[in-house]
Amino acid sequence: MIEQMMKTKLFAWIDRRTGAEAIIKSQLTEYPAPKNLNYMWNFGSLALLMLVLQIVTGIFLVMYYKPSAEATFGGFTVAFDSVERIMRDINFGWLIRYMHAVGASMFFFVVYLHMGRGMYYGSFKEPRELLWIIGVVILLIMQGAAFFGYLLPWGQMSFWGATVITNLFGAIPVLGDFITQLLVGGFAIGDPTLNRFFSLHYLFPLLLVAIVGGHVHALHVVHSNNPEGIDLHKPEEMIPFHPYYTIKDAFGVAFFLTIYAYIVFFNPQFAGYFIEVDNYVPANNLSTPAHIAPVWYLTPWYTILRSFESKLIGVLAMGGSLAILFVLPFLCKSAVRSARFRPVYKIMVIMFFVDVIILGYCGHSAPTPVLKIVGQISTAYYFLFFVALPFLPKFEKTKPVPEGI
Amino acid sequence: MNKTNTWMAMIAVAVMGFSTSAMANSGGAHLEKAQIDVTSQEQLRRGLTVFTDVCMGCHSAKYITYSGLMLYPELGLSREAVDELRGEKSLMSGMISDLTPADAIESYGKAPPDLSLIVPGRRGGADYVYSLLTGFEHDPHNKIPDGNYNRVYPGHRIAMPDPLSWLDHDPSETEELEQQANDVAAFLAFIGDPHQNERRAIGCWVVAFLILLTLVLWRLKVEVWKDVKH
Repeated sequence: MIEQMMKTKLFAWIDRRTGAEAIIKSQLTEYPAPKNLNYMWNFGSLALLMLVLQIVTGIFLVMYYKPSAEATFGGFTVAFDSVERIMRDINFGWLIRYMHAVGASMFFFVVYLHMGRGMYYGSFKEPRELLWIIGVVILLIMQGAAFFGYLLPWGQMSFWGATVITNLFGAIPVLGDFITQLLVGGFAIGDPTLNRFFSLHYLFPLLLVAIVGGHVHALHVVHSNNPEGIDLHKPEEMIPFHPYYTIKDAFGVAFFLTIYAYIVFFNPQFAGYFIEVDNYVPANNLSTPAHIAPVWYLTPWYTILRSFESKLIGVLAMGGSLAILFVLPFLCKSAVRSARFRPVYKIMVIMFFVDVIILGYCGHSAPTPVLKIVGQISTAYYFLFFVALPFLPKFEKTKPVPEGI
Repeated sequence: MNKTNTWMAMIAVAVMGFSTSAMANSGGAHLEKAQIDVTSQEQLRRGLTVFTDVCMGCHSAKYITYSGLMLYPELGLSREAVDELRGEKSLMSGMISDLTPADAIESYGKAPPDLSLIVPGRRGGADYVYSLLTGFEHDPHNKIPDGNYNRVYPGHRIAMPDPLSWLDHDPSETEELEQQANDVAAFLAFIGDPHQNERRAIGCWVVAFLILLTLVLWRLKVEVWKDVKH
């Protein structure tokens, strides 16, 4: 199909002025990809799909959403009312809003699996360090966008979640109060906070688009890693991206959309994981919910924060747990990339994945003394994993790496 | 294949972690299961009657308009029935109680919550509503006066006076009162998300189409890939 399209006169006209043919060839129809990529390599395209879906649904939601914390009858606000108007009165507003709310969780789900794949197969290692670092920037912006977006419905969990998180900045010495007030737009979460969060919630996805462009560009310079984690040189080890990976990604997209649609149409709240029960209660600054927890995708970091008695150390640890991802490529010194040939790393990284899930569980549950200790041990392992990486090559006996695939 | 299994196992662990904590999440007092069917016009209309006759004495449901009672096919009230319910209020008005929040605070100590979102907004949803309405008991510690003690309400001291007169009711009435509690729980579950039946109906077609599309693209992928040697 693409070949026929490229033979038309119109395409020739465009090509003379843009060089489109060379771009399509080098980036798509002749872009070489390893032939042995497994299905864990599908999550990149799924993340891109979710980014697009979030932006498209978000644009439509903004047409009816009103960012105002002005009180309305019955203890509600203009913002809360506008969300309910979308859910009840706007044609298919419920569909767009559920797609957006569920989409946020699905976006994080695929991005976390995408990152896990990168860690397992050593995709962050030389020469793909910058590719990984750009990816971490994307994660941070995503988390920011999700946090800002969660305030917008102005429910109880929106309000109190934002209160807890913005108060964290108060722990920073000297500048803490100033930064908090700048972020909140006053001394407490209120209408100015809602307006600036709304502005930032619209800005961050645009930043994401630009940075994702950089991420894809960086990928296309260094090319994909593969499950064996080896450099491929022979032409018979590579296949063109189109049609092989376009069709494989299309299959992955259809499979993923089936699950996504099932959740959107049949279980959009996902037992309070995707839309929290407390967020159906309008924000009330006089009534604190019994248990404040962020949405599941932020809970691992919330546990790290809560694991320390001192607020400042907690904040530093939480920031550090994300910042340490930036230096992962420089901490991991083994010449072998894939965990397939690194027996010790393989156990460590799988334990790391389980550890993050435990951290997430602890952060989502109401705090108990047992969970606190579990959270602290998990926090310790989270950091231990990164600290141990530079010393691993000293004693790890790697398995022989294959010559080719 | 071995590698794929490792990934499958990891994803399975993650999903299991989710579901177990989802179960732990319900917590609190034991809730009775509400017998509701949000597609049943009969039950929803009975629930509406309980709502207008009992709940609306104090509570509002501002997101449900009187015209909505005609337009949602699940309720499908006639114009005459709606006119009788709304009295002087406009068709586009929400179902607002005649008791003002200020008067409610004077009489009961707090403003009654709006009930439009009470089912999605409470852990246990419709089961919670049903259990609350049938949860008025004598305080075992004799501290909270009768009518203000509720088995399932957090802290047990509830400002709402026993709306269905459940406490010390005659055993012959049990069935009728349970029916009323179920009916109004069904109505509240419906208005919490009034497009839910439409959503599930459309969802069947969407998911069926996507399964078909997935199968077609899977066969196409296998076909395209058959010349790639591993």
